[in-house]
Amino acid sequence: MGHTVGMAGGVAALCVLPFLAGNAYLEHLLALWMLYALLALSLNIVIGYLGELTFGHAAFVGVGAYTSALLSTQLGLPPLLGLPLAAVAAALFGLVIGYAALRVVGPQFTILTLGFGSILYTITNNWVDLTRGPMGISDIPPMAIGPMTFTSARETYFLILALVLAVGFLCHALVNSRTGRAFLAVRENAPLAASLGINVFHTKLLGFVVATAIAGLGGAIYAHYIKVITPDIMGVQNVAALIIVVIIGGRGTIVGPILGALVYIGLLEALRVAGPLRMVIFAALLTGTVVFLPGGLVSLWQRWRTTHKADNNLPAGNGVPSAEGGAE
Amino acid sequence: MDVTVFAQQIANGLVNGMAYVLIATGLTLVFGVLRIVNFAHGEFYMLGAYITYFVGTLLGIDYLAAAAIAAVVVAALGIAANKLIFWPLRRDHEFTILLSSLGLALLISNGGELLFGADPKYVDSPFADEVLDIGAITLTQQRVLVFAAAVVALIGVYLFLRYSRFGKMMRATAQNPDGAALTGINIKLVHGYTFALACGLAALAGALVGPTVMIFPTIGNWAVLKGFIVVIMGGLGSVTGALFAGLLLGVIESLGGGYISLGFMEAIGYAMIIVVLLWRPNGLFSTARGLR
Amino acid sequence: MFGRRTLLATAAALALAIPMFGGLGGAKAQQPPVRIAVIGPMSGTGAFDGQLGLEGAQAMAAVINAKGGVAGGRKIELLTYDDKGSPEEGVSAAKRAMEQDNVDLIIGGWFSAVALSLKEATRDKIVTVMTSSQHPKVTEEGHKYLFRLNATSAMMSDFYSKAICERIKPKSVAFMNVNDDWGRLDLENYTKLLTNCGIEIKGHEFYNRTDTDFNTALTKLKALNPDAIYVAAINTSQGATIYRQIRQIGYRGKVIASAGNMNPKLVELSGNSLENVYSATPFTEDNGAPTMKPWLEEYRKSFKNEPSFIASLGAQAVEVLAFGVNAAGDPRAYDKIAAAMKAQPVPTVLGEVRFSDQGQATQTIHLVQVQKKQIVSVRD
Repeated sequence: MGHTVGMAGGVAALCVLPFLAGNAYLEHLLALWMLYALLALSLNIVIGYLGELTFGHAAFVGVGAYTSALLSTQLGLPPLLGLPLAAVAAALFGLVIGYAALRVVGPQFTILTLGFGSILYTITNNWVDLTRGPMGISDIPPMAIGPMTFTSARETYFLILALVLAVGFLCHALVNSRTGRAFLAVRENAPLAASLGINVFHTKLLGFVVATAIAGLGGAIYAHYIKVITPDIMGVQNVAALIIVVIIGGRGTIVGPILGALVYIGLLEALRVAGPLRMVIFAALLTGTVVFLPGGLVSLWQRWRTTHKADNNLPAGNGVPSAEGGAE
Repeated sequence: MDVTVFAQQIANGLVNGMAYVLIATGLTLVFGVLRIVNFAHGEFYMLGAYITYFVGTLLGIDYLAAAAIAAVVVAALGIAANKLIFWPLRRDHEFTILLSSLGLALLISNGGELLFGADPKYVDSPFADEVLDIGAITLTQQRVLVFAAAVVALIGVYLFLRYSRFGKMMRATAQNPDGAALTGINIKLVHGYTFALACGLAALAGALVGPTVMIFPTIGNWAVLKGFIVVIMGGLGSVTGALFAGLLLGVIESLGGGYISLGFMEAIGYAMIIVVLLWRPNGLFSTARGLR
Repeated sequence: MFGRRTLLATAAALALAIPMFGGLGGAKAQQPPVRIAVIGPMSGTGAFDGQLGLEGAQAMAAVINAKGGVAGGRKIELLTYDDKGSPEEGVSAAKRAMEQDNVDLIIGGWFSAVALSLKEATRDKIVTVMTSSQHPKVTEEGHKYLFRLNATSAMMSDFYSKAICERIKPKSVAFMNVNDDWGRLDLENYTKLLTNCGIEIKGHEFYNRTDTDFNTALTKLKALNPDAIYVAAINTSQGATIYRQIRQIGYRGKVIASAGNMNPKLVELSGNSLENVYSATPFTEDNGAPTMKPWLEEYRKSFKNEPSFIASLGAQAVEVLAFGVNAAGDPRAYDKIAAAMKAQPVPTVLGEVRFSDQGQATQTIHLVQVQKKQIVSVRD
């Protein structure tokens, strides 16, 4: 099937990419790309599959980062153990916060998550004895699996790439499972889904907890890679960046967030040549893309397919984005 | 407990709260009529403060006139933003509209940094340093002006919505856009006017609050967050709700910061919203569609 | 058929894609000038501080280049990088400077959080001069090529507390400090030092780095009825708001400004509320250092801001690096450069500066006071 061949080709390309980069800085950018892709995939579960906008996602990234960082610097726990514990800690927070916040929908849900996120930020910023407050935690040891340490950008890239592929596959499997179809049913029409016997609240809570667990994982990897974290990791600007990545790429798809992360990192990097105009051009392109391409970058592919199919009068294929419940 | 300090903190909170109300009113009007969650709203607040500053310093016009000019100019900018971005997208998914407003916010704040410079500025007002002693409470004239001007503006908005032709058209559109269109209301015009009113109010807030603090190109972030909290807590689309929620937030922040912990001042505000929303998911004053 | 929307969409996507390819293959050929990266907060909330520091560095580079450059006629070229005040961006900027642009030397570390991540990114790889950050760990856990210019909190408070005890002489003090590493350390130092000379400590408040209004905190402090309010603020706009609001809430007592944070912009923004207020700073225009005059002239000629302490730190960073490169004869001889900088006092715009083995500078600190909206040095 063309689909599988395409997937394999894409994964192979991602694997050789760092060897083509040529310098360590480009490898660092690639690692950042994968990190954003991982976090965007987790946010996409809430935005794309549950159809709710969360403003608290960065707080869970922060919980994961702080959990693993504190465990390794204070208790000397190996980062490999810190990683799953970070995911568990973030998921626990996700469970409690989701349990409260998912009772409301729409803008109210958004503000509730913003509120919970801000409270987590404030606690992190003020609980100096535990988190060292605004001073942050420094000298976090690098990630290590047995004798293998992930200190360089290239090593970190492969570590996160593996996670991105795993999460991507998980999302794909999820969407095509009973639970995943329940997600989409809830997103499209919650009352109808409820009448079909789907427990809307539990379905949403499950999605939210999975998303926060992955966010925590991403936060832990970030902490061990950058080696310094401050409460700013939980800030609203990080949430805005992730929302941009998901929607620009195409919410509700798997390729979308990964593509969105590439464009986000790549564009901001390329626009450095613009000097002081950098962020202005970035914002203008962002607004323009949203106005002219509301379904995100993946919708470009869908449009091309639609016109292509119409021209050749072919039967509808099993395209990647549509199989995962594209944005419309 | 010292009664003077308590009264002073209440007064501080009421002034801050009234500024929140002024920011939130525009936001709630835009949501009520256009069903748009506008993240760029804070940037119009920022523009209001900066235009007041530049009109005042470059043209030598006095503070009150500069504030009025800023409100009118920003209202016109609001009409332009609606025409270029929000009107064409009105049929798109809410996330698309939301991201476009986020993009607009980035564009204005970064453009502002480029145009206005990164250095903080001070909007000079003759009332800023004049201290008034009202009983045991000390307030500057400027802070009294923030409160008083906001009250006048809100009464104006209330009368406008209640009795003017455009106000009635706005309320009709908020209740039922399709029905309003059927009765011959020019929806496009209503959207434009709503944006003008909302942005003008945001600019007025910026011009009034400007002299009590310093201004810099990222103050819009602060304004839009406070505005949202108030709007959601009061009930989306509810002007009355925004009034009560804004004053409540201001006073609770002030008392929380004053008697519990300054570091947790914002968190206390958020905790209040969480409690309110879990108790009344649609906010304090929301029951059905429409402007109240 | 392609509709108008599809065409526009394609155009938007192309617009997104084209600059990506243009930017990735930048030139990196080794050029004759000595290339120094200036990594600082060029956008976001710290943008003004970053701008001042960069201006100071640029003015000093111009002064040195006009005199024939360094290491036998090589010009200094400054490359600017934006860290947005965030540790993550700081690491990215350092990696780009070293690996993409192949710079010779690095100046950075305006904020402590960024300095802490930057020192790991540059560890033992490149000579790095940290500027205004005051976090003790920057040099305590530094590396063999790391230097930090700003005096640590301890050095500043040793000097300034004497002036407070002997010249300002408040009976009691309340503190208004920013909630970060520096603000907390500052409170700790002065509480100890001022108690030792018999000044009563009435209390303190910590405000957040994102706060814009301080009426609540100041009302609390005023109610303590202290003889003086000590304000620790790095951020110029927060500082100016606090100094104005102290007077606006009707407080009539003394105000003491924290050491190292008095600058002309702050005085301009604060109106009359800073009149007669003391502070301490390593920067005074009349300190008699040989490079001060040409630097001031160059700075005023090129920029519209008034010369400030932050700008002088940027200048000093360029100066100490130029000194090291001249002594070593090669901007890549890092061991020689580091050894030369630590071996003897380095003459700079802020007077002679000595570096410890850890790379920590000792600066001469002066007492200053605001008089008629001018910062003047107070001499006995």
